[in-house]
Amino acid sequence: MKFLNSLTLAISAGVALTSTITPASAQDTVKVGVLHSLSGTMAISETSLRDVLQFTFDEINAKGGVMGKKIEPVIVDGASNWPLFAEKAKQLLEQDKVAVTFGCWTSVSRKSVLPVFEKNNGLLFYPVQYEGEEESQNVFYTAEAVNQQATPAVDYLLAQGKKKFYLLGSDYVYPQTTNLVLLEYLLSKGVPIENIGGGFKKDESGKIISAGKYTPFGHTDYQQIIAEIKQFAAGGKACVVSTLNGDTNVPFFKEYAAAGLTAESCPVVSFSISEDEFRALPAKQLVGQLGCWTYFQSIKSPANKKFIADWDAWLKKTTLDGVKKEGRVTCSPMALSYDGVYLWKAAVEKAKSFDVDKVREALKGGISFAGPGGTVKSQKNMHMTKNVFIGETKADGQFKILKTFEGVYGEPWLKGTFKPKTASK
Amino acid sequence: MLYRILVCIAFLLCPGVWAETPREIIAKASVLDDSEKQAKLVHLLADSGGEDVEKLLTLWKEGGIFLLDGPKETKIAVTLGADKDSEEKQAVFRFDTGAAVMDEAGKPLRALASDLNTAETDSLLRTAMKSVMDLAQLAAPDVKQRLRSVETLGMEQNPERLPVLLQRQQKETNSRVKRALREAIALTELKNEDHAKQIAACRELGAIGSIPSQDLLNQIAKEGTPDVQAAASAALKEIAAHVRTVDTVGTLFRGISAGSILLVVAIGLAITFGLMGVINMAHGEMIAIGAYTTYVVQCVFGPGLEVSPFGFHINLPGMNATGWHYDCYFVFAIPLSFLTAALAGLALERGIIRFLYSRPLESLLATWGVSLVLQQVFRLTFGANNVQVAAPSWLAGNWTVNDILFPWNRVFVVVFAIGIVIGVNLLLKKTPLGLLIRAVMQNRNMAACMGVRTERVNMLTFALGSGLAGLAGAFISQIGNVGPGLGQLYIVDSFMTVVVGGVGNLFGTVFSSLGIGMVDQGLQQILGNPVLGKILVLAGIILFLQWRPAGIFVSKSRSLES
Amino acid sequence: MDARIPKRELLLVGFGALFLIVIFPALNAADLVSNFTLNVWGKYLCYAILAISVDMLWGYTGLLSLGQALFFSLGGYMMGMYLMRMIGSLGQHKKAIPDFLVFLGWEQLPSFWVPFSSFVFAACMVVAIPALLATVFGYLAFRSRIKGVYFSILTQALTYGAALMFFRNDMLLGGNNGFTDFKFMLGADLRSGATQRALYIATAVVLLIVYLLCRWLTRTKFGLIQRAVRDSETRVLFSGYSAANYKLFVFVLCAVLAGIAGALYVPQVGIINPAEMQTDKSLEIIVWVAVGGRGTLLGPIVGAVVINALKSWATRAYPDLWLILLGGLFILVVLFMPKGIVGLPAQLRGIFAKRKSAEAEPETPEKVTVKP
Repeated sequence: MKFLNSLTLAISAGVALTSTITPASAQDTVKVGVLHSLSGTMAISETSLRDVLQFTFDEINAKGGVMGKKIEPVIVDGASNWPLFAEKAKQLLEQDKVAVTFGCWTSVSRKSVLPVFEKNNGLLFYPVQYEGEEESQNVFYTAEAVNQQATPAVDYLLAQGKKKFYLLGSDYVYPQTTNLVLLEYLLSKGVPIENIGGGFKKDESGKIISAGKYTPFGHTDYQQIIAEIKQFAAGGKACVVSTLNGDTNVPFFKEYAAAGLTAESCPVVSFSISEDEFRALPAKQLVGQLGCWTYFQSIKSPANKKFIADWDAWLKKTTLDGVKKEGRVTCSPMALSYDGVYLWKAAVEKAKSFDVDKVREALKGGISFAGPGGTVKSQKNMHMTKNVFIGETKADGQFKILKTFEGVYGEPWLKGTFKPKTASK
Repeated sequence: MLYRILVCIAFLLCPGVWAETPREIIAKASVLDDSEKQAKLVHLLADSGGEDVEKLLTLWKEGGIFLLDGPKETKIAVTLGADKDSEEKQAVFRFDTGAAVMDEAGKPLRALASDLNTAETDSLLRTAMKSVMDLAQLAAPDVKQRLRSVETLGMEQNPERLPVLLQRQQKETNSRVKRALREAIALTELKNEDHAKQIAACRELGAIGSIPSQDLLNQIAKEGTPDVQAAASAALKEIAAHVRTVDTVGTLFRGISAGSILLVVAIGLAITFGLMGVINMAHGEMIAIGAYTTYVVQCVFGPGLEVSPFGFHINLPGMNATGWHYDCYFVFAIPLSFLTAALAGLALERGIIRFLYSRPLESLLATWGVSLVLQQVFRLTFGANNVQVAAPSWLAGNWTVNDILFPWNRVFVVVFAIGIVIGVNLLLKKTPLGLLIRAVMQNRNMAACMGVRTERVNMLTFALGSGLAGLAGAFISQIGNVGPGLGQLYIVDSFMTVVVGGVGNLFGTVFSSLGIGMVDQGLQQILGNPVLGKILVLAGIILFLQWRPAGIFVSKSRSLES
Repeated sequence: MDARIPKRELLLVGFGALFLIVIFPALNAADLVSNFTLNVWGKYLCYAILAISVDMLWGYTGLLSLGQALFFSLGGYMMGMYLMRMIGSLGQHKKAIPDFLVFLGWEQLPSFWVPFSSFVFAACMVVAIPALLATVFGYLAFRSRIKGVYFSILTQALTYGAALMFFRNDMLLGGNNGFTDFKFMLGADLRSGATQRALYIATAVVLLIVYLLCRWLTRTKFGLIQRAVRDSETRVLFSGYSAANYKLFVFVLCAVLAGIAGALYVPQVGIINPAEMQTDKSLEIIVWVAVGGRGTLLGPIVGAVVINALKSWATRAYPDLWLILLGGLFILVVLFMPKGIVGLPAQLRGIFAKRKSAEAEPETPEKVTVKP
């Protein structure tokens, strides 16, 4: 009987484990899903979002909740494993029946859960800069679209007299798409193609299908690429447009500094380094590198000061498991998560219902919220109008804001919209 | 700030001189809001000598100047003293005069750096600073500073600077600066209206092999008069040849440095796996332990460290060392990272591996479990984020010869790898412990029969291998990430290196790591793609092992099955 | 070796099969088991097939392959290509080619994609591609007598290289994002409960067939040689058998089984990307087998289901401690439960009996690898 015993034991245990549903909660709460990686490679970035979401829920609950109902978060771990993301999304929507979900960081995790949300007509708030080319009715993109990050940054660099652009990124869809859009954009601004570095790949017909240099995740050796950039930048007026993913920035910048490149000789504008990632970089050697986000911790508005103060206070007293309390900062994805929760709250209150269709209609109608990064407004295309800031890094790991573009409309469909100008001299 | 500031002027600077001192100019500029006005003031510094302008500007740039609210809406530029008291507070001095700032009670004011507003700089201002520094540095005693100054002035292509450059050329003795001056002068002459001068400049640039001039020459090769065009094209060809040499030699060095890193991470494995036959999948985590130790040591030399793993709160006080003392942290970190990792290895051997010596495949599985646990422990202790390890100043920067770059940290890794190989080899070949290790590894039972305490030797050998991994971690922290996943990045590479080299042979590991490093960098250079090179190397390794299944150096054995 | 299946096992397998193939889906159809639970179980059963393939290699033949995740993903990719074609022009871009190709600026379908519009072709490729790769790699590896740890490390290198390759967008296989957003399979809507149920039943049936096949195979003379190779390859060689051919056959067979598991897995979870073929995935499968009990055929099934159920639960209840739990479990199993869950009752009985009898019989542990 030993086989039988162990198998039935295992199966019954399995059924029990997977079908454990938290007991039906009291009437005065509303379930809200949080779907981020709390383990695995992406935990580096995503844990902060879990923390800030919990902070926001606590803040809203303390003030009476949403339409009189307290928010009851259902926090699940995607474990940086994309099929698991889909499974967890199913769990949130089909078992826990959450009213809304806040989550995902990487494009692939969003792509993985998208069919689940469409099938169950759920609503996902997605807070991290992304490549665009997508407009699902079941996702609200609080994230920066390419025109809310990459193109303003290039505008700024052009205005600073930069003539040569080296495109460098991690090999996945966000950098690939962003760089193709940037290539079109640069050409449309009259930058000759030989001044765009990193290399191109063409298909049989000679059409460019990939621009820039790509390295895999977890790449550690940037010697060769730095040598190339050094030669590219030797003639001056050059800059690097980097879409390198968080982790790989450390070896890249260490190598960059060792090669004697500086922000004065060849600045790097990075789209994936926020205050949070900056904590792992040797900040002193990187003074003056550029970043472009729709929020910086250094914004000097009363709303932001309050946000940071409340966040610090929450960190001190929270008892949530696994929250690191020392040396925390705020950054754009965090502020956008925060904005997202409040937008959802406002939409629910406007629609007077938790029903996804009604909330979506309310969101599409245009709802404003004065968030830490300035006022944001939901758009008809499920994106968000917000301010865009260009900042440069300081020795203390914060950004100094150099330029603000106010109220930039989020536009997901950019490819093919910029027509090349004939190269000017 | 609510302090009423009383300033006592203790002494006068530069008596009898009407012009403002650099300190006064900077103090004036730093309190302004408009960066264009600031830049104008900064440009004035170009003409004033006196105190080291560069030092002051660097201080400003790096956030060493702070702004205090003075009387009547004004601001006062101040700096902080070096000493910190028990509350981390520092004395405050006026920037322009150097006098101590008093608080309302008439006592010297002390403040926390984090409470003060930094006098900030932006890129416009820094460009102005740079150009001032460059001019000032043209006569600087330090070769590097002179060199940088000449290079920037050349790129400006400003004919007004030509006399200064020519003047410098007469006095200059250093050969590198001389070359840079030739380049700068030629670059400036490219703008000359006179075709003959332009052609001469092209020739000069070609002869030097000037990489920065390529863009300009390309432009001239398209737009100039025919004879100038020809000269520019000829120069471009010469430069291209020079670039090829630079690339080849550079790639060679990069190959050696990449190989050295492989060697450093794999040498511990060459001992635990190669000699002992234990498949330690937690080897990567031993590297991470070394790297985290470096981080902790750095924090202890700096501001201290607070961690709270599993609800325990640990507070390590910091020594707040600065400058030279702070840079020393790495000297302490090296032996400590060896020790910590060795201790961890010891615990691992005693706790798990000693039960599995006869089951190598199972040691693979159990140590993989250990690796998972350790990764999560790092995450819970130090956070999921990477931690920041800054290179000590003596490892920053590089040595450039004829446009070929040798970054110090890379050179250091190469030297260090050589040191480790020699050290390990001496240990194994010349010490009594080495003799015991070799005896036990060759035939455990026989050694036991001869009275060797094999258990102890196993333990020490494994600790040695782990300690070496820890050392590798200390170095990896200088060039890459320090985070919970650090070990995973190197584990496959380390195993490959040891297998290709031939198990049980240290020199095999040396050869294979250098070989893999060189081939990898060479392919990267040729293919222009970092991933394809790596894939080809992996494929190459698989095919190589078909040809030589036991690696480069086969350790001979009469045993039928091993 | 007795070729008959003992009654007890027959009963157990029959009962298990009945439950998994008939009762469980019926409960789902009657709305007593949620679609979510059924779907998750479909995933577990795919893992179970994969685990059997690893066990055939490791438990029975002594080849610890760290490349099974690669064959699994290859099967998945082949099925994924078919599913991508079936999206038609319903993607985000409303074009006739998959979205990621539109991203990369393609306007026409690359030629190697064309035949994947046919399910039959894709199904053949699910078997053929893993088999082909396994044949080439296995031939080279076994010919030069690479074994033991070397074999593990080499398969790890193969997997690592392949993952790097699939991560590249130039491969035209979706890069890091892989394939997702599937809509139809053989004309059926993948998002409907009925399709998912059918897929689940198919998976359970395949699992049963694979179980019976391996069960039969290990009881034949072939199975004996297989185990002889595991215990002492040299002696097999001296007895006049070509160990390399036997090993190659098992290796290819297991690659095909893994490929089929992958092909069943993809439509159920709705995504395939290169993260599935990273080396730690291969190691994870080995954990399932080790925990369940290697060298048995029920062990891998039990292990795959138990560990994954544990994972589904722990990543929600204790996300921070999940890895520690998994790692710790693994260490414990290797050190104290070499025969896994399935062998636990026997092990306990052994300990019990040992205590009872005053003079403990010296135990002869099963030989796994040969001492150096």
